[in-house]
Amino acid sequence: MQLYHDGLESTVTSPVYLFDLASRQANWLAARQTTISGNIANANTPGYRAKDVEPFVDILDKTKLTMAATDSGHIGFDASRPESMKVKKADTWDTVYSKNSVSMEQELLKAGEVDRQHSLNTSIVKAFHRMLMSTVRTS
Amino acid sequence: MVDPLIASTKLSSAGLEAQSARLRVISENVANAQSTGRAPGSDPYARKTITFKAELDRTLGASSVSVKEVGRDETPFPTEYDPGNPAADENGMVKKPNVNMLIEMADMREANRSYQANLQMMKQVRAMISATIDLMRG
Repeated sequence: MQLYHDGLESTVTSPVYLFDLASRQANWLAARQTTISGNIANANTPGYRAKDVEPFVDILDKTKLTMAATDSGHIGFDASRPESMKVKKADTWDTVYSKNSVSMEQELLKAGEVDRQHSLNTSIVKAFHRMLMSTVRTS
Repeated sequence: MVDPLIASTKLSSAGLEAQSARLRVISENVANAQSTGRAPGSDPYARKTITFKAELDRTLGASSVSVKEVGRDETPFPTEYDPGNPAADENGMVKKPNVNMLIEMADMREANRSYQANLQMMKQVRAMISATIDLMRG
Protein backbone atom coordinates (compact mmCIF):
# COMPACT_ATOMS: atom_id res chain seq x y z
CA MET A 1 0.00 0.00 0.00
CA GLN A 2 1.52 3.30 -1.04
CA LEU A 3 0.45 6.10 1.19
CA TYR A 4 2.85 8.79 0.11
CA HIS A 5 2.43 11.18 -2.79
CA ASP A 6 4.53 10.54 -5.91
CA GLY A 7 6.33 13.86 -5.50
CA LEU A 8 7.36 12.84 -2.02
CA GLU A 9 8.90 9.60 -3.19
CA SER A 10 12.17 11.27 -4.06
CA THR A 11 12.53 12.75 -0.59
CA VAL A 12 11.33 9.75 1.37
CA THR A 13 13.87 7.07 0.71
CA SER A 14 12.26 4.30 2.73
CA PRO A 15 8.48 4.24 2.88
CA VAL A 16 6.84 3.55 6.21
CA TYR A 17 4.32 0.80 5.93
CA LEU A 18 2.11 2.21 8.59
CA PHE A 19 -0.75 -0.23 8.60
CA ASP A 20 1.55 -3.25 8.65
CA LEU A 21 3.67 -1.69 11.38
CA ALA A 22 0.59 -0.78 13.40
CA SER A 23 -0.94 -4.21 13.14
CA ARG A 24 2.31 -5.82 14.18
CA GLN A 25 2.57 -3.56 17.15
CA ALA A 26 -1.05 -4.31 18.08
CA ASN A 27 -0.22 -8.00 17.87
CA TRP A 28 2.79 -7.53 20.10
CA LEU A 29 0.74 -5.50 22.59
CA ALA A 30 -1.90 -8.24 22.73
CA ALA A 31 0.79 -10.86 23.37
CA ARG A 32 2.30 -8.70 26.10
CA GLN A 33 -1.10 -8.17 27.68
CA THR A 34 -1.53 -11.96 27.77
CA THR A 35 1.74 -12.46 29.64
CA ILE A 36 0.81 -9.70 32.10
CA SER A 37 -2.61 -11.27 32.72
CA GLY A 38 -0.91 -14.64 33.23
CA ASN A 39 1.49 -13.10 35.74
CA ILE A 40 -1.31 -11.45 37.69
CA ALA A 41 -3.41 -14.63 37.67
CA ASN A 42 -0.40 -16.45 39.12
CA ALA A 43 0.47 -13.71 41.62
CA ASN A 44 -0.11 -16.10 44.54
CA THR A 45 1.22 -19.33 42.99
CA PRO A 46 4.27 -20.71 44.82
CA GLY A 47 7.33 -21.06 42.60
CA TYR A 48 5.93 -19.09 39.67
CA ARG A 49 8.44 -16.82 37.89
CA ALA A 50 7.12 -13.67 36.19
CA LYS A 51 7.39 -13.54 32.39
CA ASP A 52 7.60 -10.87 29.75
CA VAL A 53 7.79 -10.78 25.95
CA GLU A 54 10.84 -9.44 24.16
CA PRO A 55 10.80 -5.70 23.30
CA PHE A 56 9.05 -4.61 20.12
CA VAL A 57 12.31 -3.26 18.67
CA ASP A 58 13.77 -6.77 18.74
CA ILE A 59 10.73 -8.12 16.89
CA LEU A 60 11.22 -5.48 14.19
CA ASP A 61 14.93 -6.25 13.87
CA LYS A 62 14.24 -9.96 13.60
CA THR A 63 12.12 -9.66 10.43
CA LYS A 64 13.68 -11.81 7.76
CA LEU A 65 12.81 -13.79 4.68
CA THR A 66 11.95 -17.39 5.39
CA MET A 67 11.35 -20.38 3.20
CA ALA A 68 7.78 -21.09 2.20
CA ALA A 69 6.21 -24.31 3.44
CA THR A 70 4.76 -25.94 0.32
CA ASP A 71 4.24 -29.36 1.80
CA SER A 72 2.59 -30.48 5.00
CA GLY A 73 5.84 -32.20 6.01
CA HIS A 74 7.78 -28.93 5.97
CA ILE A 75 8.53 -27.27 9.25
CA GLY A 76 6.60 -24.05 9.37
CA PHE A 77 8.59 -21.04 10.44
CA ASP A 78 7.03 -17.65 10.30
CA ALA A 79 8.68 -14.78 12.15
CA SER A 80 5.72 -12.45 11.71
CA ARG A 81 3.34 -14.55 13.77
CA PRO A 82 2.89 -13.84 17.46
CA GLU A 83 3.59 -17.39 18.62
CA SER A 84 7.14 -17.02 17.40
CA MET A 85 7.61 -14.21 19.90
CA LYS A 86 9.96 -15.15 22.66
CA VAL A 87 8.51 -15.16 26.14
CA LYS A 88 11.24 -15.09 28.74
CA LYS A 89 11.64 -14.80 32.47
CA ALA A 90 11.47 -11.15 33.44
CA ASP A 91 13.63 -9.19 35.85
CA THR A 92 11.30 -8.22 38.63
CA TRP A 93 11.38 -5.97 41.62
CA ASP A 94 11.06 -8.62 44.28
CA THR A 95 10.85 -12.33 44.98
CA VAL A 96 8.92 -13.52 47.99
CA TYR A 97 9.72 -16.50 50.21
CA SER A 98 7.56 -18.91 48.17
CA LYS A 99 9.85 -18.22 45.14
CA ASN A 100 7.15 -16.25 43.37
CA SER A 101 8.69 -13.32 41.51
CA VAL A 102 5.51 -11.50 40.46
CA SER A 103 5.47 -7.89 41.63
CA MET A 104 1.90 -6.65 41.46
CA GLU A 105 2.91 -2.98 41.18
CA GLN A 106 5.27 -3.71 38.32
CA GLU A 107 2.68 -5.74 36.46
CA LEU A 108 0.05 -3.02 36.80
CA LEU A 109 2.61 -0.49 35.62
CA LYS A 110 3.29 -2.60 32.53
CA ALA A 111 -0.44 -3.03 31.98
CA GLY A 112 -0.87 0.75 32.01
CA GLU A 113 1.95 1.04 29.49
CA VAL A 114 0.28 -1.49 27.19
CA ASP A 115 -3.06 0.27 27.50
CA ARG A 116 -1.55 3.63 26.62
CA GLN A 117 0.38 2.28 23.64
CA HIS A 118 -2.65 0.42 22.38
CA SER A 119 -4.88 3.48 22.46
CA LEU A 120 -2.16 5.46 20.69
CA ASN A 121 -1.91 2.71 18.11
CA THR A 122 -5.64 2.55 17.39
CA SER A 123 -5.90 6.35 17.28
CA ILE A 124 -3.12 6.58 14.71
CA VAL A 125 -4.62 3.83 12.57
CA LYS A 126 -8.00 5.52 12.79
CA ALA A 127 -6.51 8.88 11.75
CA PHE A 128 -4.68 7.34 8.78
CA HIS A 129 -7.77 5.47 7.80
CA ARG A 130 -9.75 8.70 7.88
CA MET A 131 -7.13 10.39 5.67
CA LEU A 132 -7.20 7.50 3.25
CA MET A 133 -10.97 7.51 3.09
CA SER A 134 -11.09 11.26 2.51
CA THR A 135 -8.76 10.96 -0.49
CA VAL A 136 -10.85 8.12 -1.88
CA ARG A 137 -14.07 10.06 -1.45
CA THR A 138 -12.92 13.35 -2.96
CA SER A 139 -11.42 11.85 -6.12
CA MET B 1 -3.79 -20.47 18.54
CA VAL B 2 -6.42 -18.39 20.29
CA ASP B 3 -6.35 -14.63 19.88
CA PRO B 4 -4.02 -13.27 22.60
CA LEU B 5 -6.63 -10.86 23.95
CA ILE B 6 -9.22 -13.63 24.28
CA ALA B 7 -6.54 -15.79 25.94
CA SER B 8 -5.92 -12.90 28.31
CA THR B 9 -9.56 -12.79 29.45
CA LYS B 10 -9.45 -16.56 29.99
CA LEU B 11 -6.33 -16.24 32.15
CA SER B 12 -7.91 -13.45 34.17
CA SER B 13 -11.06 -15.48 34.73
CA ALA B 14 -8.92 -18.41 35.92
CA GLY B 15 -7.30 -15.98 38.36
CA LEU B 16 -10.70 -14.74 39.55
CA GLU B 17 -11.86 -18.32 40.08
CA ALA B 18 -8.74 -19.23 42.06
CA GLN B 19 -9.00 -16.16 44.28
CA SER B 20 -12.71 -16.70 44.93
CA ALA B 21 -11.99 -20.31 45.93
CA ARG B 22 -9.42 -18.90 48.34
CA LEU B 23 -11.99 -16.46 49.74
CA ARG B 24 -14.43 -19.34 50.20
CA VAL B 25 -11.88 -21.27 52.24
CA ILE B 26 -11.15 -18.17 54.33
CA SER B 27 -14.83 -17.58 55.09
CA GLU B 28 -15.20 -21.25 55.98
CA ASN B 29 -12.36 -20.85 58.49
CA VAL B 30 -13.79 -17.66 59.96
CA ALA B 31 -17.30 -19.13 60.22
CA ASN B 32 -15.94 -22.18 62.05
CA ALA B 33 -13.58 -20.26 64.33
CA GLN B 34 -15.53 -21.45 67.41
CA SER B 35 -16.70 -24.88 66.21
CA THR B 36 -15.72 -27.41 68.84
CA GLY B 37 -16.25 -31.17 68.63
CA ARG B 38 -19.38 -32.99 69.87
CA ALA B 39 -18.11 -35.94 71.89
CA PRO B 40 -15.93 -35.43 75.00
CA GLY B 41 -12.27 -34.93 74.06
CA SER B 42 -13.00 -34.92 70.32
CA ASP B 43 -11.15 -32.78 67.79
CA PRO B 44 -12.65 -29.42 66.79
CA TYR B 45 -12.74 -27.87 63.31
CA ALA B 46 -9.28 -27.91 61.71
CA ARG B 47 -8.26 -24.85 59.73
CA LYS B 48 -8.21 -25.37 55.96
CA THR B 49 -5.43 -24.15 53.70
CA ILE B 50 -5.42 -23.64 49.93
CA THR B 51 -2.57 -23.74 47.43
CA PHE B 52 -2.44 -22.78 43.76
CA LYS B 53 -0.48 -24.23 40.88
CA ALA B 54 0.51 -22.80 37.50
CA GLU B 55 -0.29 -25.07 34.59
CA LEU B 56 0.43 -24.61 30.90
CA ASP B 57 -2.81 -24.30 28.95
CA ARG B 58 -1.89 -25.65 25.52
CA THR B 59 -4.81 -24.07 23.68
CA LEU B 60 -3.97 -20.66 25.12
CA GLY B 61 -0.19 -21.11 24.98
CA ALA B 62 0.22 -19.50 28.39
CA SER B 63 0.33 -20.64 32.01
CA SER B 64 -3.04 -20.54 33.66
CA VAL B 65 -3.76 -20.93 37.37
CA SER B 66 -5.84 -23.46 39.24
CA VAL B 67 -6.38 -24.69 42.76
CA LYS B 68 -3.82 -27.37 43.60
CA GLU B 69 -5.34 -28.66 46.81
CA VAL B 70 -7.34 -27.70 49.85
CA GLY B 71 -5.30 -28.99 52.76
CA ARG B 72 -5.59 -29.20 56.50
CA ASP B 73 -3.59 -27.05 58.90
CA GLU B 74 -1.72 -29.42 61.22
CA THR B 75 -1.04 -26.84 63.92
CA PRO B 76 -1.95 -28.27 67.38
CA PHE B 77 -5.31 -27.15 68.75
CA PRO B 78 -5.27 -24.72 71.66
CA THR B 79 -7.16 -25.89 74.74
CA GLU B 80 -9.38 -23.97 77.07
CA TYR B 81 -10.88 -24.81 80.46
CA ASP B 82 -14.65 -25.07 79.99
CA PRO B 83 -16.17 -28.00 81.93
CA GLY B 84 -19.75 -27.22 80.82
CA ASN B 85 -18.92 -27.77 77.17
CA PRO B 86 -20.11 -31.09 75.65
CA ALA B 87 -16.66 -31.49 74.10
CA ALA B 88 -14.85 -31.16 77.45
CA ASP B 89 -12.65 -34.12 78.43
CA GLU B 90 -12.41 -35.58 81.96
CA ASN B 91 -10.22 -32.63 83.10
CA GLY B 92 -12.69 -30.07 81.75
CA MET B 93 -10.40 -29.01 78.86
CA VAL B 94 -11.93 -28.24 75.46
CA LYS B 95 -9.97 -28.26 72.19
CA LYS B 96 -10.60 -25.07 70.22
CA PRO B 97 -10.10 -24.71 66.43
CA ASN B 98 -6.61 -23.63 65.31
CA VAL B 99 -8.01 -20.61 63.46
CA ASN B 100 -6.17 -17.32 63.97
CA MET B 101 -8.47 -14.42 63.10
CA LEU B 102 -5.57 -12.07 62.39
CA ILE B 103 -4.11 -14.44 59.79
CA GLU B 104 -7.50 -15.01 58.20
CA MET B 105 -8.13 -11.28 57.90
CA ALA B 106 -4.71 -10.63 56.37
CA ASP B 107 -5.29 -13.50 53.95
CA MET B 108 -8.70 -12.12 53.06
CA ARG B 109 -7.24 -8.72 52.27
CA GLU B 110 -4.62 -10.26 50.01
CA ALA B 111 -7.17 -12.41 48.18
CA ASN B 112 -9.33 -9.31 47.75
CA ARG B 113 -6.49 -7.31 46.24
CA SER B 114 -5.53 -10.11 43.85
CA TYR B 115 -9.15 -10.46 42.80
CA GLN B 116 -9.28 -6.74 42.07
CA ALA B 117 -6.08 -6.90 40.03
CA ASN B 118 -7.49 -9.72 37.88
CA LEU B 119 -10.72 -7.80 37.42
CA GLN B 120 -8.74 -4.72 36.40
CA MET B 121 -6.91 -6.76 33.73
CA MET B 122 -10.22 -8.03 32.40
CA LYS B 123 -11.61 -4.49 32.15
CA GLN B 124 -8.51 -3.30 30.35
CA VAL B 125 -8.57 -6.16 27.85
CA ARG B 126 -12.22 -5.45 27.17
CA ALA B 127 -11.36 -1.80 26.49
CA MET B 128 -8.57 -2.91 24.12
CA ILE B 129 -10.91 -5.24 22.23
CA SER B 130 -13.55 -2.53 21.81
CA ALA B 131 -10.89 -0.04 20.67
CA THR B 132 -9.86 -2.55 17.98
CA ILE B 133 -13.47 -3.13 16.94
CA ASP B 134 -14.02 0.64 16.85
CA LEU B 135 -11.47 0.83 14.03
CA MET B 136 -14.12 -0.66 11.77
CA ARG B 137 -16.55 2.13 12.58
CA GLY B 138 -14.26 4.62 10.89
